[in-house]
Amino acid sequence: MPETKEAATPKSRGRRVKDAAKGVLYGMAAHGHVTAALRTRMYLEHLFMFITLGDMLGVPVIPPYYSLKILPYAVPNIKSWKQRVFRERDFTDQVF
Amino acid sequence: MVDFLQTPFLWVVVTIGLYAVAYWGYGKWIDRNVWRSNAKKTTPAHMYMDGVEYFPVSRYVLWGYQFKSVAALGPILGPFIGVTYGWLPALLWIIGGNFFIGWLQDYGSMMLSVRKEGRSFGPITYEFTGARGRTNLLAFVLFYLVIISAAFIALIATFWNSFKGTTFVPTVGILLAGLLCGQLLYRVKMNVFAVTAIGLALVALSLYLGPIFRVVLPWGSWNVAVWAGVCVLILYLAAVLPTPTFIQPTNYLAFYPAYAAILLILVGALLTPFTLGSSPPVAIQLDMGPFLNDPQGILGPIWPILFVAIACGAISGWHSLVSSSSSAKQLDIETDALPVGGGAMLSEGLLALASLIAYMVLTKTFVFGVAGDPTNPAHGNIASWPVGAALLVSRILGVSATDVLLTTFFGLVLVIYALTVQALVTRFFRLVAAETWSEGRFRVFGNKHVATVVGLGVPWAFAVSGSWWALWLYFGGANQLLAGLAIMLITIHLAKMRAPTKFSLIPGVFMVVTTLAALAWQIYTFANSAIQYLGNVQYPFGANHDPSQWVLTNVRPPINVKDYVWLALGINGVFVLVGLILFLVGLSMAIRLFQSYRSSMTEARARAPTAADGGTREK
Repeated sequence: MPETKEAATPKSRGRRVKDAAKGVLYGMAAHGHVTAALRTRMYLEHLFMFITLGDMLGVPVIPPYYSLKILPYAVPNIKSWKQRVFRERDFTDQVF
Repeated sequence: MVDFLQTPFLWVVVTIGLYAVAYWGYGKWIDRNVWRSNAKKTTPAHMYMDGVEYFPVSRYVLWGYQFKSVAALGPILGPFIGVTYGWLPALLWIIGGNFFIGWLQDYGSMMLSVRKEGRSFGPITYEFTGARGRTNLLAFVLFYLVIISAAFIALIATFWNSFKGTTFVPTVGILLAGLLCGQLLYRVKMNVFAVTAIGLALVALSLYLGPIFRVVLPWGSWNVAVWAGVCVLILYLAAVLPTPTFIQPTNYLAFYPAYAAILLILVGALLTPFTLGSSPPVAIQLDMGPFLNDPQGILGPIWPILFVAIACGAISGWHSLVSSSSSAKQLDIETDALPVGGGAMLSEGLLALASLIAYMVLTKTFVFGVAGDPTNPAHGNIASWPVGAALLVSRILGVSATDVLLTTFFGLVLVIYALTVQALVTRFFRLVAAETWSEGRFRVFGNKHVATVVGLGVPWAFAVSGSWWALWLYFGGANQLLAGLAIMLITIHLAKMRAPTKFSLIPGVFMVVTTLAALAWQIYTFANSAIQYLGNVQYPFGANHDPSQWVLTNVRPPINVKDYVWLALGINGVFVLVGLILFLVGLSMAIRLFQSYRSSMTEARARAPTAADGGTREK
């Protein structure tokens, strides 16, 4: 069903209000904590990628045999890892 | 018929009305004509989506996050100093400051970061003012964090020492409940709703136990120093332990009572026309003002002091860091910046208004006391806010305004606001210290534990020696100066894009000049006190005209007695030094920004006309 038709009914408007209220409550109570948890995971992933692919970047961490075994699991994350690890960072990024 | 003009109701309605005009009138106009936000333009959240820092978030979620990140103790305690000049000037600053400057800064910082690919203020300062400008900002932020920490540690210690010792057990209860919830959530993997229910039940239980198990220290005037030490220990743990273990679950649980209190006060203030007839009446009792000078002769003139005393709620530099650090990276579409940045700031103004009303309904005798009359002591901000808040709320809850649970609840709210924010500030200080001293001769200061000890030890020393108002005004000065500098960064960007700059330039210049003047006044106050004492000049206020009062007024008990007058003199000297450093670093930063603005204007004039979004200006 097209979204515009659904939006016109009072029920969907009520649902939108409910979703907005839920969103505000989630944003106030939990969003900051969720992003902090994601950031912690990101740093752990950085570590994982350096350990697994480090030798290919010239960092002799573990032998290539193990790197190659883990490689299939690491490949899907390479793009986003590269993006994160090469991003310019500053102390003002760490306020929250 | 109830005379609602005697109640704060009218002022709540007027403020909400003016904030609505600020949002739907001035705000929308600035959004359309100055920044020209475009919902179709790709934001950094989409451009650099990594699912961690950059990802689009609903405007409602982001509004909640932004509001929670910016609304803390500032809008609650700032108005207390503001009412020294009468409640009307304080109210006018809360309305006018937010209308013309406050929301503009939060929204502008967010838009600036969005237009600069989600970069925060450090790299943007580097781009506009060079490496020295960024170093300058780093130094300023370090001092700013020390001053915030000192003010908040002093307040937390004073809160624990007040309310007849009822707030310490509930505070510990929240901390322990937070630790337990963290374990249940992350180790046991329990459902978040069940964990929240358990946590809130424990918070309620600890609140109930607070008045039963009162903790009153036996060391008289040294109590605050000891409480400050306890606070430092807790903050040390918060800064060095992993966030999911301590800060995260504790802040999560603390959120519920803190925001319930705000909601209750606002509803209580709105319902005052219907509760006026009850006894005691919930009516405006404090002096309206304006008083151009502090009648007690401590703070100084209304300009510039009022404008730094009420920071958050009118305008705050901290918000620019939040807006550019995290929220801008998660903005779904550009047009969300106004509801998220501007909307959250205007909502915080309502929190400041609610706090101001909590002071307005108290009598002048209760708040400021009667000089020389021990039966009518001044209650200060510590007791005034919870008592005023309890008075507003008691009617709608149908309980007595003097109910010990109610005053303990509001006292606890003050403590948790200060403690949760301070835990984050301490952690941020540690990270900034690691950035500053990671290499070189002083790299030991970059160490996690050393940085935390320094970041808490120095503020502790300030907290136990300086008067809280002196610390608060330095904090306000530094915070507002940061806001002025943020507005100047926004103005430089607008100038580079050949967009109209006067709407941000005028507030930026006002904030920079006002806050530098406030810092200069503070420096003068401390220096003058020392000089007058050394010159043996009689102190002009109070019953005792002893010259030592010049320096003793500026320090806190137990140092404010004649036996420690040389120590008090030394502390006055240290405060002069701190003020001078803040002033000079701030001035240097301001000069760099004004130079950058001038060169941006010159460059922009030489180019073809464009607009803030980098596109061609529409006719």
